[in-house]
Amino acid sequence: MFLALREIRHEKLRYGLIVGMIVLVTYLVFVLSGLAYGLAQQNTQALDTWNASKIALNSDANDSLSQSLITKQTTDKLSLTKHEAYVGQAGVVAKAKGQAKLSAQFLGIQENQFIYHRLTTVAGHKPTTNHQILVDDSFKDNGYRLGDQVTLNSLTGKYQIVGFTHNAKLSVAPVVYGTLPTWRALAHVTSAYQAGGIVSERSTFKGADSSLRTLSLSQFINKLPGYSAQNMTFSFMIGFLMIIAMVVIAVFLYILTMQKLPNYAVLRAQGIPAKVLVTTTITQALLLVVGGLLIGAGLTALTVSVLPFGVPLAFNVPLLVGVTGGILLTGVIGALIPVRIILHVDPVSVIGG
Amino acid sequence: MMPTLALKNVNKTFGHDTNEVQVLTNVNFEAVAGEVSLVIGPSGSGKSTFLTIAGGIQTPTSGEVLVEDRSLLALTGKARDAFRLNQIGFILQAYNLVPYLTVADQFTLVDRVKKQGNLSATELATLLEQLGIAELIQQYPGELSGGQTQRVAIARALYQNPEIILADEPTAALDSDRVKVVGGLLHDLAKQHHKAIVVVTHDLRLQEFADKTYTIMDGHMTLS
Ligand SMILES: Nc1ncnc2c1ncn2[C@@H]1O[C@H](COP(=O)(O)OP(=O)(O)OP(=O)(O)O)[C@@H](O)[C@H]1O
Ligand SMILES: [Mg+2]
Repeated sequence: MFLALREIRHEKLRYGLIVGMIVLVTYLVFVLSGLAYGLAQQNTQALDTWNASKIALNSDANDSLSQSLITKQTTDKLSLTKHEAYVGQAGVVAKAKGQAKLSAQFLGIQENQFIYHRLTTVAGHKPTTNHQILVDDSFKDNGYRLGDQVTLNSLTGKYQIVGFTHNAKLSVAPVVYGTLPTWRALAHVTSAYQAGGIVSERSTFKGADSSLRTLSLSQFINKLPGYSAQNMTFSFMIGFLMIIAMVVIAVFLYILTMQKLPNYAVLRAQGIPAKVLVTTTITQALLLVVGGLLIGAGLTALTVSVLPFGVPLAFNVPLLVGVTGGILLTGVIGALIPVRIILHVDPVSVIGG
Repeated sequence: MMPTLALKNVNKTFGHDTNEVQVLTNVNFEAVAGEVSLVIGPSGSGKSTFLTIAGGIQTPTSGEVLVEDRSLLALTGKARDAFRLNQIGFILQAYNLVPYLTVADQFTLVDRVKKQGNLSATELATLLEQLGIAELIQQYPGELSGGQTQRVAIARALYQNPEIILADEPTAALDSDRVKVVGGLLHDLAKQHHKAIVVVTHDLRLQEFADKTYTIMDGHMTLS
């Protein structure tokens, strides 16, 4: 610790540069992870609030809820319990007088089923008639108010916003909750169709009909359009950034170590154990990385606080711990590379003359 | 009297086959506690090679190095580190000081690694006073002159209070007055503190402080 700190104190510029670089890398990794997580959330938030574990869809629907239709004939054959709920999805463009158009996802649900019960409102109440809707509170941020009369696509009727709910996003669009008859109107299907899919909170649920295919909710989420591609893109970016961070930190520490070899050789000649020098290097790397992490985290926090509304930056504890741990590990691995050189430093090399 | 440090029939060659150079040939040497042993020789004669072998930094091609009759070559790397830390004070020819530590911190570093047996604060103060470097204590090595650096290096080596002091050209950058101070200091250490002092140099001015003088020429050592 002594040597590590004294050296940093004496070589402020050199170490300042390294810390600066670590700050930038950390900042990028934090922000990218936050974006990745934020976007992933906006893909699935609505589903997360249902707390469901299975979904049954039409087997021809390619695992897409908006493409799926299930007939009454089929649902009548199933023995559904209070743990199952009907849902129908349709993409909609919502428009209220004097407000901008909003692209949204309409989800038709049934009043006496568990999805409806799980919904919470931050204002107003849940819909009780076909011409009432409960919408994500991002509508509010776009100027929509409780009581607004909204048109959906080209349907002739008006739908009144009777409540706002929080964190209702599906496929990065705000959700409009309404009734199944409204969904049928939007999907242009007759009442011969009961729903788009059947969601269940039981992990043992299976849509026992040859026309149905049952997926776990995580399988279903991974099939959401663009969801896996997006996550993979971010994972790759973050992974590469980590690798780049490691290489850069390793290269810096390597060069620093090479420059310090004459000093280390002198210390070795004096009988100072190699262990002390190795500990010094690793301590130093940790100090630099922790310093960089703290500043990077601070910058990220600052960014979050000044970010314009609508950028989906979100964090949770496992994500922060993972990113922080990853960067720390990266620093330690970077510091371990020059260790071999330190262990083999030859005191004779500085003695000659 | 048992020698504190002895080299017996030491040979050192570098390189192989046609590139082989014999740097030390059948060197026999003894340093006794309470004496200053001087090894004088021209540049390239093998002085530094001799000293590093004596201090366990380098191993001879053949021969024996004995410290108080124990073989230095038989020790493990760790034990040799400990031996250097506790029993040897090296004053190297170049690069003696860590550039990012102040003079004071050079001593603190020793305290960190070697917890006991170092000089007391008052002993250190006296030593720095004697060497005329007491005012430089907050300076970095980069801010010192060559002679000042050398004196700090001497103080640093003595601070560990070793039994054996191995000095490589300790007076190279010093004027005659300082040579007298350093020579006198090494002499006193031998006489009053019963240390074995080995100085390799081409500086004949040190001869008056020596109890015995070896001459080294092309790797052959003779006691004169
Ligand atoms: N690692 C090595 N490989 C090959 N030759 C070496 C090596 N170390 C020293 N030598 C050679 O051994 C000889 C003696 O070197 P040494 O450093 O011991 O001389 P020296 O007496 O200390 O000289 P100076 O007074 O200039 O310091 C020189 O000819 C040198 O080139
Ligand atoms: Mg030499």
